[in-house]
Amino acid sequence: MGQEAVNKVDTSPRTTGKHKQPKPIKHKKPKTITLNNGRTGWFFASPWIIGLFMFYILPLVASIYFSFTSYSILQPGEFIGFQNYKELIHDELFLKSIYNTVYFAVFFVPLSIISGVALAMMLNMKIKGMTIYRTIFFLPTLVPHVAIAVLWMWLLNPGFGLVNGFLDMIGIKGPAWLGSEEWAKPSLIFMSLWGIGQAVVIYLAGLGDISDEYYEAAEVDGASWFQKTFHITLPLLTPVIFFNLVMGVIGAFQQFTLPYTLTQGQGKPANSLTFYVMYLYDNGFKYFKMGYASAMAWILFVVIMILTILIFWSSKRWVHYQGK
Amino acid sequence: MVFLKGDKVKKVSLAIPLMLALALGACSNDGQSGEAKSENGVTTITFWHENTGVGEEAINAVVDAFNKKHEDIKVDAVYTAADESQNEKLLAAVAGGNPPDVSWFDRFKVGSWADQGALTDLTEYAKEDGVTKDTYYPFAWEEATYQDKLYAMPVDTDARMLFYNKDAFKDAGLDPENPPKTIAELEEAAEKLTIKDGNRFKRIGFIPWYNQGWLYSWGWSFGGEFFDKVAGKVTADDPKIVESLEWMTEYAKKYNVEDITGFTDSSGSGEMDPFLTGQLAMHIGGNWSISSYLKYKPDLNYGVTPIPTPTGDNFTSWSGGMAVVIPKGAPHPDEAWEFVKFFGSEEGQEIYNGKYKTLSVIDSVNEKLGYKDDPIFSKFINILPKSHNRPVIPEGELLWNELSNAVDNSIHGNGTPKELLEAVNKKVNAAIE
Repeated sequence: MGQEAVNKVDTSPRTTGKHKQPKPIKHKKPKTITLNNGRTGWFFASPWIIGLFMFYILPLVASIYFSFTSYSILQPGEFIGFQNYKELIHDELFLKSIYNTVYFAVFFVPLSIISGVALAMMLNMKIKGMTIYRTIFFLPTLVPHVAIAVLWMWLLNPGFGLVNGFLDMIGIKGPAWLGSEEWAKPSLIFMSLWGIGQAVVIYLAGLGDISDEYYEAAEVDGASWFQKTFHITLPLLTPVIFFNLVMGVIGAFQQFTLPYTLTQGQGKPANSLTFYVMYLYDNGFKYFKMGYASAMAWILFVVIMILTILIFWSSKRWVHYQGK
Repeated sequence: MVFLKGDKVKKVSLAIPLMLALALGACSNDGQSGEAKSENGVTTITFWHENTGVGEEAINAVVDAFNKKHEDIKVDAVYTAADESQNEKLLAAVAGGNPPDVSWFDRFKVGSWADQGALTDLTEYAKEDGVTKDTYYPFAWEEATYQDKLYAMPVDTDARMLFYNKDAFKDAGLDPENPPKTIAELEEAAEKLTIKDGNRFKRIGFIPWYNQGWLYSWGWSFGGEFFDKVAGKVTADDPKIVESLEWMTEYAKKYNVEDITGFTDSSGSGEMDPFLTGQLAMHIGGNWSISSYLKYKPDLNYGVTPIPTPTGDNFTSWSGGMAVVIPKGAPHPDEAWEFVKFFGSEEGQEIYNGKYKTLSVIDSVNEKLGYKDDPIFSKFINILPKSHNRPVIPEGELLWNELSNAVDNSIHGNGTPKELLEAVNKKVNAAIE
């Protein structure tokens, strides 16, 4: 592959000549030098390639095999065919963890997009001190998940937490939040929304990418703010929304650190915070059922894959690229 | 490349394979972490533990005493930042065939690790050196044994009891020297002690599932059994255990579980512990809380008494604790055993537990340490001979989580105690098979 690329560059100087003035190549031994460059490139990339192979691809492939065995980390186990997968279908906690995870994804992903876009649009206004506001909204993403969990446990404390304190002031009796079955997941969604700074930065970049010409033309035609938002801004932001949607779905299905820290791995109350990956972790490392956990991991992988394919497939209908 | 001169490139390109070689070398290095450094015939053995502070000092004291006694063995104590419930470092080390010679170990996990063949069988060593179960409390020895083979050496223990605030008792018109013995008396006292304002508790008498109020604490106190040793089956649906969970569920209904959760979620720790602030009059606690009570509120006027039972007799408790083990594949099992034996001996026990103020697994050591004369500690020592240990089965962790979930679900009204415990039983027994 490297050889091919090298040859291509060698024989077609036009590709580099597009922006620059075409100059005659003065190297005496062009072939060996470019070849060496290619080798050096591979050489420098080798730690990462080896790492990728050893720590990602190899375990990935191995886990397919493990999912058909009773592998326990300490013992190789036996080949048991689809036994793990069959057992999973009847595992109530597995089903509950799917429900919790899907619940979280269904609410969190759209909410994060709506609030992310809205926030980005507000932070895109041309007023004084905008960099400060942008920084403020980005800051929470720098806080480690464990710290966020501890912080929100205090904020959402039913007795003396700030959130219920505010609600009390306006005459609403707040729920028990993380202590209540109905409110535990909404609380978690709420907490996760706090960390959308990363997505907002991407939306901001997307907004900056939209050419002013569209707005000028729209203004000449007398378009209102509403029309500009829904007919220019949002359609042209769809490529970025598309990206964040895919990443958001993947992230939501892999939710782990926050609920694990919040509940000390117990998924309390009444398993309402037992998420898919938490249960996977318990099986793999606490119950010594790595084969079972591998099967779970592959189901998750396939589900995320299908969802991503669906999103990609649908994107033709709703993602608009500028200049097309 | 532009900013690097020719010779620098060479240096960098030399450095990277070097680093790589080192990194890969470290992975494949056969020299184990506990490699003997046989200098002048001294074998160095590695001991992994996770204690910090006074706990680490106590371990070091034992190690020093051992090293002084043995000229040919030197123990090297290494702190590994492991959480006792998630010992992934040890897991990776054993799986990688590169374990330490001795490791600190939660006895609760002896069943699952022994079943996986990750621990060295100590039975023969013990037999040869005359280390027998008679020295130890029955539960401690039993928890270190899996399928009649010894896999761990117990070093400390604990127990659960009812802690009650004597001042609160006086305040509610109860006799502070006559704490509840039966479940009915407990309920009556709790009712008198509780002061509720709307849906908030100013003071709550008792919360059965708070702190150490696990189903294990209640199930055994109600006279139930969690494991049938003969059949090798879990019996979580034992009628007595069901009865205990029914009682907890009734209690949850009576005081409204959401209100109680609001209270427990708001409660602090350390000096804000609700038992110290007087917001909670009684709770099921463990002996390890005593030191923090002494630290944060030395004048707290409290007492301890066995967990009440339906009949007011046959009091019991359950105990866990730590042990030292020799992981499978340890480079020097013979030398490691010498250290393990020492840690489990009266001498080692006295040094460790005396320094750390923990309970020994040997009754005579507890007496020597003066625990039997202490008004609070003596209560714990007295219950230890009758204490239970959690079933030593490979699925111990699963059973624990399932029981904990069953309580959580039951008090929140998701299913009846009987159904929930039957489901636990089915799931865990299926896993055992």
